[in-house]
Amino acid sequence: MNHVYTKTALLLGLALLPQLAYAHLVETRFGEFYSGLLHPLTTLIHVVAWLALGFLAGFQTLKEARKILVLFPLAVVLGAIFANFFDARVGSAQANLDYVNLASIVILGTGVIWAKNLPSYVVLGIAVFFGLTHGMANANANLSANGQILYLAGIMVAAYLLVCLASAGVVLLTQKHDWGKTAVRALGSWILAVGIIFSGFSLLTLSV
Amino acid sequence: MKYTTKKWTTEENALSTKTVLAIALILCAFSVHAHSELGVAGGLMSGFLHPIYGFDHLLAMVAVGLWGAQLGKPAIWVLPITFPLVMAVGGLIGMAVIDIPFVEFGISLSALALGAAVAFCWRPHIAFAAVVVAIFAIYHGHAHGTELPSAVNPLAYGVGFVISTGLMHLVGIVLGLMTRWPKGQKLLRGLGAVIAASGLFFLASTVGLLV
Repeated sequence: MNHVYTKTALLLGLALLPQLAYAHLVETRFGEFYSGLLHPLTTLIHVVAWLALGFLAGFQTLKEARKILVLFPLAVVLGAIFANFFDARVGSAQANLDYVNLASIVILGTGVIWAKNLPSYVVLGIAVFFGLTHGMANANANLSANGQILYLAGIMVAAYLLVCLASAGVVLLTQKHDWGKTAVRALGSWILAVGIIFSGFSLLTLSV
Repeated sequence: MKYTTKKWTTEENALSTKTVLAIALILCAFSVHAHSELGVAGGLMSGFLHPIYGFDHLLAMVAVGLWGAQLGKPAIWVLPITFPLVMAVGGLIGMAVIDIPFVEFGISLSALALGAAVAFCWRPHIAFAAVVVAIFAIYHGHAHGTELPSAVNPLAYGVGFVISTGLMHLVGIVLGLMTRWPKGQKLLRGLGAVIAASGLFFLASTVGLLV
């Protein structure tokens, strides 16, 4: 029977051994960077809108798409800095910001369905304006100076990566396949549908 | 000191295996989700599964894709784009708790009508086909909207059922590519007939003809 007890004790010992996993490395030096990187990527309102902007950028000329790739992440960071300085995420200001960001899903989704080359000032204006509002919504004032820099760098990288990958995907798909444009337009309809549902739902709950 | 090797009896061996197995099973245990429909993850999951669990929803949405593929361009993208957009409006009406008469009847009828359209290879004007699909989408959206669980994130729920619906259209479109082959066309029409027959069954159940 001793054999059984040894095995049992060994198994129990092994079961007690595992340590906590640190998926987000918050206790390491770059913790706030990952925090900034993940904040927009784990919030649907940002992910959906940023993907839509990436799809829209993919339908523009290469020159415009490149400008969006530079301007949008910068606008996101500027928005976050602005929100930190002016405390723009308080009370009704936060609610208004949410409505604007919801509107971005509707407007960008419509743009993706439209799938047209838009005038430069329109597409860049959209990218900068919504970059600022989404940046403001991602701000986090409760960080030290070092933490703030890492956090902002994280948000900027997230904005760049998401828009860059989405637009590159659209370019590849539309250039290589006949059905590519149709598929992206269908994705646009999904984005617009989500925007309609959530904007409408927010207005409904507001009126109750 | 003399060491002797003890011979284990079969019973003791069995006990040891049982113990090890039991402990291994304990270690394999998954976390318990007592309130599974919570937050963003719960919303995504319940939204995604809602159209799939409803067989009438599933068949009607696959039929939209099939019909679009059968009609060809531009219906192949107009119908699957029209459906989720109008469905979103239907979902909002449902969330606002505004009643629409005969919702279940409308959903069953959609499977019957869209299945029949594929079976009979009906080719109306694209605008008319879009209107037909839009009317049925209102009913489907309303059903999803009214059944939005209160604990879930509404945006995630919306994302879930829109993606699920879109993927079912995609399944229909991919199946509809069979129209490129002569035998495929017949098979597609057969598939439409099966959907229409299922729709008829759902319709009979809704009006109480089948208990």
